[in-house]
Amino acid sequence: MLHRRIYQFLIIYGLGLGLLMVLKYGLNLSDYVIPSPDEIARTSRSYAGPYLLAVLNTLAVAILGHILSICLATIVAVIGRLTAWIGSFIRTAAYNIQAYPIVAVAPIIFILLGDGLLSRLLIAAMICYFPLLLSFIGVFSEPVREIEHFFESTGRMTWRLQVKIRAFENVQKLTTVIVGSATMAMVGTIVAEFIAATAGIGYSIRIALYQSDLAKILVALFLIGVGTSLYLVSLEWMGNVLQKRLRSS
Amino acid sequence: MRTIINLFLISSLISLSACGQKEKLEEVNYRLKWLYNVSTVGDLYAETHGYFARNGLKVNVKPGGPERDALKELELGHAQFGVASADQVLRAVAKGAPIVVLAQLFQVNPLHWIYRPDRMAFSGGEDLKGKRIGVTFGGNDEAILRALLARYGISENQVDLFSVRYDYTPFYEGRVDFWPLYLNAQAVIIGAKLEKAGESYAFLSPDQLGVRFAANSVVTTREMVEKHPDTVKSFVAALREGWRAALDPRNQEQAIQVLLEADRETPEIIVRRQLAVTRDLMLPPAGGEFGQIDAAAWRQTEEIMRAQKLIPGPVDLGPLLGTFN
Repeated sequence: MLHRRIYQFLIIYGLGLGLLMVLKYGLNLSDYVIPSPDEIARTSRSYAGPYLLAVLNTLAVAILGHILSICLATIVAVIGRLTAWIGSFIRTAAYNIQAYPIVAVAPIIFILLGDGLLSRLLIAAMICYFPLLLSFIGVFSEPVREIEHFFESTGRMTWRLQVKIRAFENVQKLTTVIVGSATMAMVGTIVAEFIAATAGIGYSIRIALYQSDLAKILVALFLIGVGTSLYLVSLEWMGNVLQKRLRSS
Repeated sequence: MRTIINLFLISSLISLSACGQKEKLEEVNYRLKWLYNVSTVGDLYAETHGYFARNGLKVNVKPGGPERDALKELELGHAQFGVASADQVLRAVAKGAPIVVLAQLFQVNPLHWIYRPDRMAFSGGEDLKGKRIGVTFGGNDEAILRALLARYGISENQVDLFSVRYDYTPFYEGRVDFWPLYLNAQAVIIGAKLEKAGESYAFLSPDQLGVRFAANSVVTTREMVEKHPDTVKSFVAALREGWRAALDPRNQEQAIQVLLEADRETPEIIVRRQLAVTRDLMLPPAGGEFGQIDAAAWRQTEEIMRAQKLIPGPVDLGPLLGTFN
């Protein structure tokens, strides 16, 4: 699984880089517009170390934000399943709040909470929270009639059991949503760092942009891709382990 | 009947000649460095008051922005003329970009640092020691600040560098001693707020402390100068005329009108003050021509960037500054 993800990423990255080189040499562009392979290699040697640390920093915040949003989405979705009205209300609220672009809200968050970890965490969580919430509400509000009917008719149904049944029956769907939202957590963290933080790979990209240094950005993108792929693979692996355990129990 | 026919013929001739004139205009794109604001007043004035058209050009004056790079657009052929800061130009030329400087808009770099004189004594560069100084890491203010520190023998661990973004709260709250801003743009707005709060303020001018870092200049490609010299000459002539007129106090009301139409966000009272400051920063010393290139400032800028390893090696300023001028 790891190999496949990394290969896929390398193919996409290589294609992107190849296209840039075709443009560079086809249009005879200077290294200022598109860096030469030599310059990219030189930049990699100088910046791979610090950028790797920055990516790990970003990844750590993204993972924390992702966990935070999964917990929050689970709690809200479990509450939201109680009645159709609350579920519908939360869904409408989620749609509306999601409609606000995070780049417009982020500066307010930074002004209120400063440019430290808390702001980055909150923005990362906000970006991946709403898609998670919508899927979780869908899963936890939808009865699994053939199973739930048995427990209801025997009077053994509790809210915990209901949540467990619905989670078990939709574990594949939940895993897919969680893996999908992981990339959003990473994107959210990078956006937050780009806007106002003073750490992480988003901040490094911003500095590179100030310096019009595309070589640095390409190195950063490579490391972000590898970091994100590793995180996605870890999540998929955890999802598979969970599904196997649930099936065997 | 004859009168009607005559009138028809005359109006047709006028329309035809107008069309003919329109067709003759050569269309070019001009990418500014930043959004429409006071630093672009001459560009906008030249466009709206027909200076370009009178020189046979139809110039699309396009606003810049944080993620726009006029130099890249020039090379890709999306624009024929542009505005870029000197550090951008030097970085690009160091990487082989075929750029030529046509005119230097700011004779004094507008980048300054604001501070509160009643809270600390500041009489010279040495007084930066021990201070908390705002800096945009990666921006040209970082290069200027590091040059200032080097000039006054202050090492980085003797100052506290504070990463700056768009939010001025740390300065308002007094958590940062010096905050970077553009003297003709944000400084007027921040100054007005501080005045309202009854606070005094002053500016640290790198130029006065001996660091003359060249600022925004009008640029084009070498190919443009070689293949379309007449277009370049017409453009520069029109632009210079437009800028001179926009900064002429006699045309102040028209210039303000042009700015207010292009930038609806900034109040008129602020625009008036900004225009006065811009005039001081852009007009050359007596006897000089608008847009003249300060070769000494460019040399110092190149030396600063080389010393800070912002460019890999020396840049030959001769062809860069002298090809057209």
